Amino acid sequence: MCDIIWCKKDFEGKPCNTINYLDPYCFWNWEGTINCAECGAVYYIHMIQGKMYRGPEDRPGETPDTSPLYADKPLDGYRFYGAGIEGRTRPFECLPRHIYLGVPDMVKFSIRGRPVRGHRPQPPSAGIAGSYGFNWDIKKLSPDLYEEYQQKLKNGEVKDW
Amino acid sequence: MAKDPRVTRIEDLPGPKCKEELEEMKMPYEEYCKAQFDPGNEPSKPNALNGIRWMSTTMYIFTPHSVSNLAEMGAEVIKVEMPRMGDPMRHCAPFNETYLYPLHDSRPMTGTGMGYLNANPNEYHITMDYHLPELKEAFYALVKMSDGLTECYRPGTFDRWKQSYRYVQEMNPRFIYVWGGGFGYGPKCFGGSYDILGQAHAGLASVTGFHESVGGHATKHSNWCIDWYSGTQITFGILAALHWRRKTGLGTMIEFSQVQAATRCLGYAAPLYGRFGIVRQRWGNWDTQLCAHGIILCGKSDFPDAENPQDRLEARYAMISAFQDEDWKELCAITGNNDLFDKYKSHNERVEAEAQIEIYAALEKWAEDKSRAEVVKVCQDAGLLAEPVCNDREYYENEHWRMRGSVRWMDDPIFGDILQHGTYSAGLMAKTPRQLNWIWRPVGADNVKIYHELLGYPTSTIEEWYEKAWL
Repeated sequence: MCDIIWCKKDFEGKPCNTINYLDPYCFWNWEGTINCAECGAVYYIHMIQGKMYRGPEDRPGETPDTSPLYADKPLDGYRFYGAGIEGRTRPFECLPRHIYLGVPDMVKFSIRGRPVRGHRPQPPSAGIAGSYGFNWDIKKLSPDLYEEYQQKLKNGEVKDW
Repeated sequence: MAKDPRVTRIEDLPGPKCKEELEEMKMPYEEYCKAQFDPGNEPSKPNALNGIRWMSTTMYIFTPHSVSNLAEMGAEVIKVEMPRMGDPMRHCAPFNETYLYPLHDSRPMTGTGMGYLNANPNEYHITMDYHLPELKEAFYALVKMSDGLTECYRPGTFDRWKQSYRYVQEMNPRFIYVWGGGFGYGPKCFGGSYDILGQAHAGLASVTGFHESVGGHATKHSNWCIDWYSGTQITFGILAALHWRRKTGLGTMIEFSQVQAATRCLGYAAPLYGRFGIVRQRWGNWDTQLCAHGIILCGKSDFPDAENPQDRLEARYAMISAFQDEDWKELCAITGNNDLFDKYKSHNERVEAEAQIEIYAALEKWAEDKSRAEVVKVCQDAGLLAEPVCNDREYYENEHWRMRGSVRWMDDPIFGDILQHGTYSAGLMAKTPRQLNWIWRPVGADNVKIYHELLGYPTSTIEEWYEKAWL
């Protein structure tokens, strides 16, 4: 986690006391507003390289740009909000990132330049109970990737080792 | 043999029997091995365990690996996973991110992490919440059609769910049942296990790493080597049980504690304690039996300009072996340490702890202005055994492993291009080699194949169970 926002606003007659976790996947370099997962209070933050440069500042009435990934209420025992609760927390999308820049950087080709299924979204299954066929027909199921691969072949970027 | 022992037939005589065999006999050994093992042509050869069907109700690496060994050698393995989620190992990956999509239809934006690699190849992946009474019939049907099962739950869990050995042997007396877990039955029966727990509790970590007096600590191996090792030990048990069943017609139960398994690689530790009361200590990159026979730090990296820090900073270690007297003399001569040879002429003298501290310090002093490659070359030119400590990339680029096929690229039918070192590095077999057909499949990918085609349930039932998240 980069940091937290510990919300202490009055909510339903007592302090909110919710810890909103700011995960590095989203907030490493980020400026905008974020809601408290419990009371919905909106805060403005500006983070640079994982450090809180400005904020959190109250922004009542504004629409939040995003939500925390996860929040919990340590003073209330084990109450927490997991990832992906609509209006409270953000879904965790597991996007692979560039190792230094942190931007989504999904691998589409192996180091020898051939296509891999290391990216999403992928076409759904055969339809019955999650069953999948045995072959990924790249031309039919991932036409964009197929085109990109043809280009790589033309450029001589596909190797054996 | 001919019926009449007085008759001599050409085929009973030793030596080649036909032109092809004669050619084979005349081949240089290298060529013969190449022809026998023929890397890359494995799919044209038969599978040793064809006809064996195994159920895998396993998770993570340890117990799945016990079954993946069977699957690579041709057994039909049915991996049963939790509906929608799958094996938790799918969600463990380097950097906590996933790389191979999709995981499952109900989670289209989630993939499987690379941590799952090599532990579940060639298996059919189905989902089943088998603790539900409604699915007992399907589970038992699989038991009746299978040769065995491997499970990894806390001891007694399957018994509570009426699917332990006591129950399944009633419906299939030839069934081989494997429990693999932490401590096994005994006072610590309910202790779970992880690889690190096995390494720690079994005593392995206590003798791994350098001694504290030279800056070391009790160390676990970076990779989960006890998971892989214990899984392979289970496979041995399974193969022995299959042989036993051929003789008796009866199945058996294998109970395998991962924590106790790690003590097997401690060699003489317990007998040493029993005889002398000596508790074995850590000795790091040196050897308690042989000297010089260890890994030393060299001053310069082989790849000083590499971008990757593992290359740039870590390619500085070399393994050196010169424990026999004449080799030791040569090592002292080439490193300018003739005084050490005079001091420690006999092996008994130089294998002592104090001597080793002095010897390795002198060797590292000699190597401090040399790169790893220079150190290795000087030693090899002098006829000594020396090799660089290589990393994954160097292994990948090594012509020796490429020629043997133990590292190779594979076009996985679902996940595309994958660099593989698992299956084919586990030993070569000329007639019935290990084979890698696919690295794994998405969660529940074979539900129709197993429930409908094998067990005969109508697809409407399968869809109904799927809707209820039973599958």
